[in-house]
Amino acid sequence: MMKNFIFSALLIFILGNLCGFGLPWWAIAPIAAVVVWLFPQTGLSAFLAGFLGGMLLWGLHAFLLNSANEGVFSAKIGQIFQGLSSNNLLLTTALMGGVLAGLGALTGQWANDLRANTEPKDYYTRRKKGRYK
Amino acid sequence: MRIFRFILSLVASLMLIWLLSVTHDIKGNTLPPMGAFLNPFSGFWKNAEPLKGIEFNNASLSALKGNVKVVYDDLLVPHIFADNLQDALRVQGYLTAQHRLFQMDITARKASGRLSEVLGARTFKIDRETRRKGLVFAAENDLIGWGKRPESMALLNAYAEGVNAWIDQLKPADYPIEFKLLNYKPEHWSPLKSALVTEAMAETLCSRKDDIDASNALLYFGRDTFDYLFPEWNPKQQPIIPDTGQWKDWHVLQPIPAKEATQTNTIGALFDAPGGSIPDIPEVDRYMVGSNNWALSGAKTKSGHPMLANDPHLNLTLPSIWFQVQIHTPESNSYGVSLPGTPGIVIGFNENTAWGVTNVGQDVSDFYTIKWKDAARQQYWLDSTLRTASLRMEDIVIKGQPTFRDTVRYTVWGPMPYDDEPENPLRDCALRWVALDIPEFSTLDIFMKLNSGKNYDDYRASLKGFDAPAQNFVFASRTGDIAMQVQGKFPVRGIEQGRFVQDGGVSSNEWQSFIPWDQVPSMKNPSRGFVFSANQHSTPPTYPYYFVGDFEDYRSRRLFDRLSATQSATLDTMKSFQLDNFSQKAADALPVMLNLLDKSALNQEEIKLVEVMQAWHYNYDADQLAATLFDSWCDSCYVLTWDEMDVVRKAKKPILYPDGWRWIDMMKNDNNSAFFDILDTPVRETAKDVVLQSFKRMVGYFQKNPDKKTAWGSSRPFAIKHLAMIDAFSRLDLKPGGCKSAPNAVSRANGPSWRMVVSLDDQVTAQGVFPGGQSGNPGSHWYDNMVDTWANGEYYALLFLKSPEEISDRIMAKQTFSPH
Repeated sequence: MMKNFIFSALLIFILGNLCGFGLPWWAIAPIAAVVVWLFPQTGLSAFLAGFLGGMLLWGLHAFLLNSANEGVFSAKIGQIFQGLSSNNLLLTTALMGGVLAGLGALTGQWANDLRANTEPKDYYTRRKKGRYK
Repeated sequence: MRIFRFILSLVASLMLIWLLSVTHDIKGNTLPPMGAFLNPFSGFWKNAEPLKGIEFNNASLSALKGNVKVVYDDLLVPHIFADNLQDALRVQGYLTAQHRLFQMDITARKASGRLSEVLGARTFKIDRETRRKGLVFAAENDLIGWGKRPESMALLNAYAEGVNAWIDQLKPADYPIEFKLLNYKPEHWSPLKSALVTEAMAETLCSRKDDIDASNALLYFGRDTFDYLFPEWNPKQQPIIPDTGQWKDWHVLQPIPAKEATQTNTIGALFDAPGGSIPDIPEVDRYMVGSNNWALSGAKTKSGHPMLANDPHLNLTLPSIWFQVQIHTPESNSYGVSLPGTPGIVIGFNENTAWGVTNVGQDVSDFYTIKWKDAARQQYWLDSTLRTASLRMEDIVIKGQPTFRDTVRYTVWGPMPYDDEPENPLRDCALRWVALDIPEFSTLDIFMKLNSGKNYDDYRASLKGFDAPAQNFVFASRTGDIAMQVQGKFPVRGIEQGRFVQDGGVSSNEWQSFIPWDQVPSMKNPSRGFVFSANQHSTPPTYPYYFVGDFEDYRSRRLFDRLSATQSATLDTMKSFQLDNFSQKAADALPVMLNLLDKSALNQEEIKLVEVMQAWHYNYDADQLAATLFDSWCDSCYVLTWDEMDVVRKAKKPILYPDGWRWIDMMKNDNNSAFFDILDTPVRETAKDVVLQSFKRMVGYFQKNPDKKTAWGSSRPFAIKHLAMIDAFSRLDLKPGGCKSAPNAVSRANGPSWRMVVSLDDQVTAQGVFPGGQSGNPGSHWYDNMVDTWANGEYYALLFLKSPEEISDRIMAKQTFSPH
């Protein structure tokens, strides 16, 4: 399980870079879905893998661009958005990438669950299901 | 159960993507789609350029004839080395687009009335007015005229293709930030757009409309008072071209005397204000657009070689209106500032000569009243025949709204700019404006010849046919010549023709002819050792052609004094003249006002203010409190004097205000004039009373606004605004000195847009600065890196290279363009 989590988070981060080569910005969501489809895990783990991969992807790229620019431009853009600071703008960007990929991954996992007509494998979901039965 | 949660997460994902893909309106502002804007692959982060170091990839361009080498210096100025002019201009187009694409796009959009396509309904009125004035019509006419010379059109096309080559390789990620914020795509450039940029400049510089205000003043005051208040010639002025007897033997074209040429107002009633409103407070000294240029002969310089200076005063914007470039071909090597969107160099120098421009105040736009046959407004009377107006359809595309189709009527005089506004005083007036004419010569050819000129004869020949906006072309050469020419297309006018609104029902009111090219005012190597212009009168009244317009009264006198006095000048001397904050207006007015001021009516604190002003040397330096005090006092004194105008203004009629110099003259020599009477009071005031009352008003103002009672630099607002008015991309933190009436004419949003000084030594050397940067990207170090230098009154040495291989520690990057 842990292996799939790490694998998928890493893959989402790596494949997400394709967005820098012409894929649209939202491609990170379907990418995360496909990756998780290939590496099944629990819903929570899938979301976290997507969130981690997406957040790192967006956050790191923005961070590198911002560092080379010494934060000059993000300060100006922040001013347009009601005085948001450079760091908050970075955080917003990273979170947005994280949520996008996280939701994509979750969708991929729950799609995966459709084909496997078995009980959920992980303890958490089984216990939860049991509680509400 | 599983299918539900799957659908739920799928819908949530799609919803999020959708929410991040559409624009949102928050407090009247439209936010761009946030996903596209925030993501680090194509959003705004991509516009955050590294502050240090810059690299440009080699590129191939189709239609290049040979390799073109580009060297960038540390100010991001491209130095273009090409085998032929066409290649050079193609690359100039490419590079200008690379650094200034949004500026080019928005300038062409504004001039063609197409802002609403991307900005929506809020710019609709501006677009409509632009089209009604015929700016697109003018640009189309430019192309008809320029098209007569295929060689010149080929150059214009090469420039446009260069721009488009840059646009075509752009990915959305590379779009300038403004396109991302406003959420639209750059579109292709064309020669028509270059013409539009030229016409936009003409609109800024030569489309004044005082005809109505003057007509109203004449009707309201009557002839004698009008002549008393509005003399056309200020005897203190130093004209650009003095009378040295050069025009006494001329064969002069005579205007055909037209009886009704000076008829003021066929309606016999005062014109209303456009749009029915006028500002609450009259503008004091309305003169806004101005510039300085001059050249010193070798006799007046330390080196013994001529020197030249130019600082055009324009609206200060970011990105800056100018883009520096060096263009080297086998035929010529020139450096200077270009206007993004047009090829070549406007103000600059080459290895042999230097040139610069200031605006000519001569009025070249007149209004003629049209008498329609009936309410259908299709046919109008000219002499005693009916003419039919031709109709031009203007489709104004508005984002988010249906397209608006406008019909503009064109008469023999020109378009009817305001006939869609029933309340507008100009509703029945047609506009006759030289900028709308089909040009005889190509502006591009003229500047290309100027750029490559080697001597005075080349300069003189190149100016032939330059029509609008008329400019004072200053010139200096390494061979020792200096010269000035007031070049433009000037109508031969009857006395006062064009000063007022004219009757468009009489064909003889037409401009009969234009001042022949060899008779426009010019001079070469005057014995006084300098030529200069600061938008003042082109000539004294003895010049055989009638001149009417709006001319500057103070900077020119100051510059004349300094240029006359200077000996052994260096480039530093030249710079100190450009940076001179001395106000001739203050020097004229303050002693008169202080003399009239009844000090016995002042308290201790007020006397202290007087002392501050008494100790002042009329310099509008940033650290001067006296400048703040005088400026406020002078303005309120002026407004109080002309309370006579309030009656007219309250009735919503625009009216001409006397020039500042005339008013100062009246305070000095006619201080008992009835105009100093304040109409609202039962007593009969004189200039003494007006001066005292306005002084008290000034004191009252500063008591109410103690934060404004500071040194000049911090007391007044000053801004270099971004072209799309985005504050975050503007510079609002500067507090420079200077004022409109000083050679360093820095006002609120207007001022020296480029300062250049050139020494025409054995090697031409030059220094320059503009309040901006070479890059149009607010995320670049080179966006506003020159602003502080400019504000501090410092200059950069301009790197003038002989070859792309020349070694200099200022070279930052190199790039080669090769044919496809």
